[in-house]
Amino acid sequence: MIRAENLTKRYGDTTVVQDLSFTVHPGSVTGFLGPNGAGKSTTLRMILGLDAPTRGHATVDGRPYAAHRAPLTHVGALLEARSVHPGRSAHHHLMALAHTHGIPRARVERVLALTGLTHVAHQRVKGFSLGMGQRLGIAAALLGDPATVVLDEPVNGLDPEGVLWIRTLLKNLAAEGRTVLVSSHLMSEMALTADRLIVIGKGRLLADTTVDELVRASGGTSVKVVTPEADRLRALLPDARITAEGPDTLLVAGLEAPEIGRAAAAHAVPLHELTPQAPSLEQAFMDLTRDSVEYQGASA
Amino acid sequence: MTTPAITPARVLRSEWHKLRTVRSTWITVLTSAALLLGVGILMGATYTSGGGDSDVDTVVLTLYGSQLGGIALAVLGILVTAGEYATGMIRATLTAVPSRVPVLWAKATVYTVTVFTTSLLTALLTFLTAQVFLADTDQAASLTDDGILTAIAGNAAGVTLLGLIALGLGAALRSVPGAIGAFVGGVLILPEILGTLPYEVMDTVVRYFPTQAVGVLGSAIPLPGAASPGAAFLALLLWAAAALAVPALLLKRRDV
Repeated sequence: MIRAENLTKRYGDTTVVQDLSFTVHPGSVTGFLGPNGAGKSTTLRMILGLDAPTRGHATVDGRPYAAHRAPLTHVGALLEARSVHPGRSAHHHLMALAHTHGIPRARVERVLALTGLTHVAHQRVKGFSLGMGQRLGIAAALLGDPATVVLDEPVNGLDPEGVLWIRTLLKNLAAEGRTVLVSSHLMSEMALTADRLIVIGKGRLLADTTVDELVRASGGTSVKVVTPEADRLRALLPDARITAEGPDTLLVAGLEAPEIGRAAAAHAVPLHELTPQAPSLEQAFMDLTRDSVEYQGASA
Repeated sequence: MTTPAITPARVLRSEWHKLRTVRSTWITVLTSAALLLGVGILMGATYTSGGGDSDVDTVVLTLYGSQLGGIALAVLGILVTAGEYATGMIRATLTAVPSRVPVLWAKATVYTVTVFTTSLLTALLTFLTAQVFLADTDQAASLTDDGILTAIAGNAAGVTLLGLIALGLGAALRSVPGAIGAFVGGVLILPEILGTLPYEVMDTVVRYFPTQAVGVLGSAIPLPGAASPGAAFLALLLWAAAALAVPALLLKRRDV
């Protein structure tokens, strides 16, 4: 379990993380979302004791990370930047980390197998692809069989196969009862893997919610209706929230497609199209973080 | 199976594992050994009695290559610490050992043991090899002669302590080129410049600078106008201690 209380990080006049409090619980995947530069990596580094908070504190299983006698058994972390000597082999890299805790060689071989790196374990990391590098980072994170796993942007730059592997891994880790915190700037990715969401922008907490709640908050599902008699149809659906997308196109929220279809048929309103729209989490995320994006693109 | 937990001995083992599993360690150690032995053989083979080098200390003459080899070992010291910042390995290291300072002690220890052992063995081999050539000259000497063994050990200790200063500079500056620049400029060149200043006090002060102290330790016959071997050794120990104490304090405070 991870607990952040009033975490604040300032570099000179720049506040990167501001008064951030949240709790990450075991047994589910928690997505840590925010636009680039929102302070995600800095927050994770503070949790791991790499950066000292200006104010507030973070604990893992009730203590600051650095206060644990065997921190690798509490938290395993994959940081965004590569943290490996390129001239060392994967096996030796993991052995060097394992030695600090007296973790046996068998565990090193186990995590190499788990991440599918056994056949390249004795090659120098220099020649690893991005995906293999990520796998090695995850092998290192799992080395101490930790109760909590923290992964910073694990799917960045991975091919579809690698992305799928990470998704499955995250779900399995959570199913084993572990606390899983995974950062991303992609809502679509989190919608597929995460159960809970912590959304930050400009270093502040914007939402601490579940994916389902966010879907509901974003207005739930809606139905696109194309009809030449849009005005008549509008009058037939007094309970729905309707927005006009064009002269013949309506976006109907609050009613399901069959109900709209039945109402139209009963009054002989011709329909050219009746399409349920997937909830746009991406849109909900953008609405939430609009004010905290570092660089706004101007529309041409 | 033992319970996983961090202990100083385990951190030491981890650092030893790291040191021996990268090529740069072998390259720098072998380079320094080759320079020491190569220059020693060259000195022995080209020596003529009564030539310009007749008044040079035998151990200094045969181990002349340690000045060059010492630079390779200083680079190793810098790679051990600053190198981890260049590769990003430091994040993995300090996540595994978040109390941080034991990592620096472990690095200094494995470096000291490795460099002192290899330097001492190479210096002994170099001295004996050079003496094969010097047998019939006025530089003929044996290991049992007065001061010879002490000077050979002093040479190895001096090179090791100089390398520890480089290791400390690497840890404090967290940049390989920065630390190499600081070592060459501040440790190797600066005392030479200070020594040329026309103030008598400078001559006294410069005696206790690292490179001068290393020279004293590696001489079989006490040098006139230099610090005593005991004082030189103490001075060098203090330099190395200071060079490690600064990054130890900084390591606790700075973000990684």
